[in-house]
Amino acid sequence: MKFIKHNNVLPGFGPTMGYTLLYLSLIVLIPLSALVFKTAGLSWHDFISTVTEPRVLASYRITFGAALAAAGINAVFGVLVAWVLVRYPFPGRRLVDALVDLPFALPTAVAGITLATVYSANGWIGKHLEPHGIKVAFTPLGIIIAMTFIGLPFVVRTVQPVIEELDAEIEEAAACLGANRWQTFRRVLFPLLTPSVLTGFALAFARGVGEYGSIIFIAGNMPMVSEITPLIIITKLEQYDYQGATAVATVMLVASFLMLLVINLLQRWSRRYAG
Amino acid sequence: MSIEIENIHKQFGDFTALQDVTLSIPSGELVALLGPSGSGKTTLLRIIAGLETPDRGRIIFNGEDTTDRHVRERKVGFVFQHYALFKHMTVFDNVAFGLNVRPSGTRPSKSAITEKVMELLRLVQLEGMAKRYPSQLSGGQRQRIALARALAVEPQVLLLDEPFGALDAQVRAELRRWLRKLHDEIHVTSVFVTHDQEEALEVADRIVVMNRGGIEQAGTPDQVYEHPANPFVLNFLGNVNLFHGRMFQGEAQMGGIRVDAPGYAGADNAPAVAYVRSHDIEIDRSQVDATALKAEIRHIQKLGPSVRVTLNLEGNGGFIEAELTRDIFQTLGLQQGEQVFVRPRQVRVFVEDYQI
Repeated sequence: MKFIKHNNVLPGFGPTMGYTLLYLSLIVLIPLSALVFKTAGLSWHDFISTVTEPRVLASYRITFGAALAAAGINAVFGVLVAWVLVRYPFPGRRLVDALVDLPFALPTAVAGITLATVYSANGWIGKHLEPHGIKVAFTPLGIIIAMTFIGLPFVVRTVQPVIEELDAEIEEAAACLGANRWQTFRRVLFPLLTPSVLTGFALAFARGVGEYGSIIFIAGNMPMVSEITPLIIITKLEQYDYQGATAVATVMLVASFLMLLVINLLQRWSRRYAG
Repeated sequence: MSIEIENIHKQFGDFTALQDVTLSIPSGELVALLGPSGSGKTTLLRIIAGLETPDRGRIIFNGEDTTDRHVRERKVGFVFQHYALFKHMTVFDNVAFGLNVRPSGTRPSKSAITEKVMELLRLVQLEGMAKRYPSQLSGGQRQRIALARALAVEPQVLLLDEPFGALDAQVRAELRRWLRKLHDEIHVTSVFVTHDQEEALEVADRIVVMNRGGIEQAGTPDQVYEHPANPFVLNFLGNVNLFHGRMFQGEAQMGGIRVDAPGYAGADNAPAVAYVRSHDIEIDRSQVDATALKAEIRHIQKLGPSVRVTLNLEGNGGFIEAELTRDIFQTLGLQQGEQVFVRPRQVRVFVEDYQI
């Protein structure tokens, strides 16, 4: 602490740090600790049995599994979208660029109803998939689609500025050294994009895990099959089982935190060259 | 390997970057493309590399037309001004890159690659740096790694785009001596772009002076310095003083200076310009001969080993600059405001309506 006070050329460490702590406490820490406190009212045995009920366990698998799948899909196609938006000038590019942000702005319930309508057995897309035996609405596949929809802007918006700042010379250097386009992408460009792709992946994943509004309309919410954890929490609340709800919420909190931590570590490792 | 550049033309929108440039670069030479910014020198280098396609004209490597060959297949080593190292790779991986991306049939074995990379790192005197990342190196070290990386693929031609442009003066001077030495060892045909006349004069076997998309003069450093083909070359290589006047029967007359210019005997009463390099002006305290002109010292600027003296000529009121060595300056003991005499040692006259 001493060196920060004496040798820092940027003044205002004290007040800004104080404000940061206060703000984080009010907005994040206090509500979350209230969650844990409420859960602490349960005995250890009750806690374990609540959070390991088969129906709850199934919901963890669906929520985290679908969120991982959706974030993975977004990591691939989000990079593609960002690449096209940065690299190729085409008519209507600005419009497409603006479209990317729509999932941010759209109320999630609207998104959910729209997706459910389009992908249901007689919807625009659903009726073409149905004859092939692919059911989207009211299945886990529908959950993945809803999570992909809301997570897309996270990957695009984190990767886009990094692609914009890639130096054209490194691609030219790779070409001079005999690398073809694929080798250039895999060995030179992709490693430089990895940290931002991981950040986008983490954000899309976190959003997917926490998503409620758009999913419940398309998921069908069948216990053990397509019921997500946030819905279990809501159900428990509606039954005035506050402690049970917070117990499940705590598990989600810890699991999400651990996964984000791992992704952050991965991201740090992927930029180990930055000296 | 020799390079023939035939009638290369390149247009960027309304801007003509290169206008029918023809140049031949003999095998094994170190050639400097020298010119101000916008003269087309970098564009020409990039066209030789295949990073840019010409609108017209041909590039011939060793008698073989390579105009339409992709940069990947040209076997050129290219060194960028800002290094363009792969920052996520170690120094070793950077240098090994060109070998690692070869198709599996022609790729050397892992141990052969290691051996080759270490040999190159020794060549650029950075063998201890193999495990570092580019961000941990200084500018001069990064540029040497970039050079090692370019040499790893055993290029037939080495192309360098302002290779020392981003470095500070001392490292720059050191690196260009080193580049000259390296070239004497490996003899790969090399072309480098620079806007620094000193760098070109010191390093190159041959200098190509470029201006506005064309070549003004090509020749050895002595040729372009001692016998500049036109006022542009003269002006670009060193500081010069201009005297405007007229030609009369093979003699240029300009405000007290008379110079024989037999080459222009036909041009009578034509406007002429005489150029005198600032270090070709001698300052005396007394009038030694009739060519000496009276002048007043207006300003004295000491630049390390040399001293620049700004003088006001009596009569026509023009200003000239003279560069003296510190020794001569001290022997003369010149002071600001003094009246002295100046004598141009070497005058070059050009009769053409040329404005710089």
